[in-house]
Amino acid sequence: MHRLVLVAAAAAVVLTPFALGATSAATTGTFTYGTYTDVMVGWDPSTSYSNEILAMQNMYETLTRYDSRAKKIKPLLATSVAKSKDGKTWTFTLRKGVTFHTGRPMTAQAAKAAIARTMKLHQGAAYIWDAVKSIATPNPSTLVFHLKYPAPLDLISSADYAAYIYDTKAAPAKQLPKWFSAAHDAGTGPYTIDKYAKGQEVEVRLKSYPKYWGGWNGGHYTRVVYRVIPQATTSAQLLRAGEISFAERLTPQLRDSFKSDKNVTVTSQTSFQNLLAMMNTASGPLADKTVRRAIAYGLDYQGIVASLHGGGTLSHGVIPPGLLGHSDSITGYPHDPKKATALLKSKGFGPGGKKLNLTLTYTQGDTDQQLVATLIKSNLAGLNINVDARPLAWPTQWDKAKSADKSKRQDILVFYWWPDYADPYSWFINLYHTEKTPYFNLSYFSNPRIDKMIDKAPSLTATNRAKADALYQTLQKQLLQDAPSVPLYDQAYQRTMLKSVGGFVENPAYPNVVFAYDLHPAA
Amino acid sequence: MTLYVAKRLALGLLVVVGVLILTFVIARVVPGDPAASWVGPHATPQELAKAHHDLGLDKSVPRQVVDYLHGIVVGDWGVSIHTKHSVLSDLASRAPASVELVVAALLIALALGIPLGLASARWRGRAPDLLVRFAAVAGVSMPVFWLALILQLIFFQKLGILPVAGQYDPNLDYTSPLAAHTHMAVVDALVEGNWPVLWSALQHLVLPAVVVAAYPLGVIARMVRASVLETLGEEHVRMVRALGFPERAVFWRFGLKPALNPIVAITALVFAYSLANTFLVEAIFDWPGLGSYVAASTQSLDTPAIIGVTLLIAIVYVVSNLIVDIVQAFLDPRIRLS
Repeated sequence: MHRLVLVAAAAAVVLTPFALGATSAATTGTFTYGTYTDVMVGWDPSTSYSNEILAMQNMYETLTRYDSRAKKIKPLLATSVAKSKDGKTWTFTLRKGVTFHTGRPMTAQAAKAAIARTMKLHQGAAYIWDAVKSIATPNPSTLVFHLKYPAPLDLISSADYAAYIYDTKAAPAKQLPKWFSAAHDAGTGPYTIDKYAKGQEVEVRLKSYPKYWGGWNGGHYTRVVYRVIPQATTSAQLLRAGEISFAERLTPQLRDSFKSDKNVTVTSQTSFQNLLAMMNTASGPLADKTVRRAIAYGLDYQGIVASLHGGGTLSHGVIPPGLLGHSDSITGYPHDPKKATALLKSKGFGPGGKKLNLTLTYTQGDTDQQLVATLIKSNLAGLNINVDARPLAWPTQWDKAKSADKSKRQDILVFYWWPDYADPYSWFINLYHTEKTPYFNLSYFSNPRIDKMIDKAPSLTATNRAKADALYQTLQKQLLQDAPSVPLYDQAYQRTMLKSVGGFVENPAYPNVVFAYDLHPAA
Repeated sequence: MTLYVAKRLALGLLVVVGVLILTFVIARVVPGDPAASWVGPHATPQELAKAHHDLGLDKSVPRQVVDYLHGIVVGDWGVSIHTKHSVLSDLASRAPASVELVVAALLIALALGIPLGLASARWRGRAPDLLVRFAAVAGVSMPVFWLALILQLIFFQKLGILPVAGQYDPNLDYTSPLAAHTHMAVVDALVEGNWPVLWSALQHLVLPAVVVAAYPLGVIARMVRASVLETLGEEHVRMVRALGFPERAVFWRFGLKPALNPIVAITALVFAYSLANTFLVEAIFDWPGLGSYVAASTQSLDTPAIIGVTLLIAIVYVVSNLIVDIVQAFLDPRIRLS
């Protein structure tokens, strides 16, 4: 027996010192962002199109920034924007006294060089500049864009990707991609790279750029750290211990566990991303509009939203709130099984009729989509519709949808859509405009009248936003009638963060980005 | 002996090439264009077509296999589609952390497993034996994620004596920065004489290593028990007993030594097995090893990364088998004859 006591005593002696260093609170002045996957996929600001946006938006700046709450463009590197009446000439007046992290001044010539390089490389979201014919620099603080056709350049220049202004002379042109990928940055933002540890849990560290044009008076974080934590439970533990300041995404159960925690806040904000069910309008049973409408009536949207525990809100048309053309007055299909049954009956389907077999594909690894697919299956089962729901890796899902052989395509495809700048055009041109060979229009929808309306939208947005707003509303109502797709819900961002982090505002135009400079650390 | 090793080596090489070709072909036969992951979510058709060409996906599968094999030989394992870094550099930065974890776990498993197995054999059928056998079965069959979460809950949340995740306290990077020589925090800290990081790294290693150790610990304890009992039943032991040696000497001098031979084999195999099976543990403890890398790779059809990891694990398996074969051949010349 005395041996056991000895063992216990030894264990206590060995373990006690651990208590001292186990929970060290985050260093004051450091904002630690907990994300769930690698941050720095790309380093080149011209081609960046992935998760690196989290850090990039703190190292680089754009000419303008979109304010989703005011639905307005705010100045950033440009202090003002003027457009010609036809929406084809846009003049940006640049902020003076701004320097890149390389030390060189940010001038109109430098800004032009950055955008020109993005356009030339034409990767990622670079297509947003396709309307630009030429860029002129009449003086060091004026940038003039001449366009091929009217386009909302003030919105485009605020894009989350492909709109960074950076120093193209940071390295000789040919070596620039290599220079960037060796973990360098050449932006004008408040933070610059401090240390990068590829594949490590603390992947990226940023430090303040002392010469930042905004200055460093008045309480800002001086260090920003990105920590990769694949497991949500671990993320929650680290937040509880104060080792991270902010958790990008937790599960509903974990979020609820913080409700009584006086050191942690949970925020929620609808994003610019929605989940859509694209129905096959070209072949199979859903080529019939009546059957599509029956499906739309058969789905329990409220139930889907409820099952997400705050991860989504009810859609009002295709366009999420905070964007041009969104209107709460547009209501989608209500959940009406009786109406669905009647419509199905008219085509010989439904309870008591022929059984309808449909295939549905969704993106593998996305638990929200998995949940929604299950709900769709159970909703439609009551209408004598059997849904074969298949999770597929995105490249596989997309390949199947694009099959030349129509019989190999799915009946319903579930996927997310979001715009590459704060404008709804992206949904319409990509998802609903006629395509000769399918690319993103994965309901294979074609309606010449709708095509014409879509074609009018960009120039109207550039010249008359009120009219563009009305056009987008009409478009959405028409699309509800034709039912090529149903929006299932608008995704909501739910963040969990320490109460000591002040001044956080979610801006869905920059998905998952925290602008660390705008935060106030508690003293 | 040289011929024996050469034969084994050639056989091992054949296995690696076989695994490689098989993985490559399976990866290419799976529907879906990896270029779709490469270009990002809303890329234009032109960008997609260009990426398809740049990645060499427009060539025939045999041609791609030949190109890939050639690349392996010259040290180019391709570029990962989801990280866009060279696969070899990805592996070089992630494998060491997994190796560190597995080695620590194996040390724990050996240090505990052998004595427990011996105790079990020594007091066969009595309380210690039953206890060890129960613990061994529990260790082998317990789901690792469950064990990991429970340990986190107890030692981090309730007791607050061990850290929850990561390789070491990230704040130490400001006060005592550590240069990455091997990407194994403990080794790097030892090399540099960086004691604060070493202390922190050892603390961080405890929980994940214990979780990874659970399975090999169970296997080793049971193996030792079985092996010792088998030896004790053999004729030479009976003779030793007949000669009047005390039971203690019979056990330690004549029973133990030959019984430890299979442990060498099982340890090497368990090492390779654990390396490929720490993924869940790595994810839960935020351990920057191969686990999260593989998980992300499979979701983006990242064939170069998937094949790279498969190749690495195949090589580890083949090399550890080879080492086992050689060590056993040394210990027991009869093996070479068979």
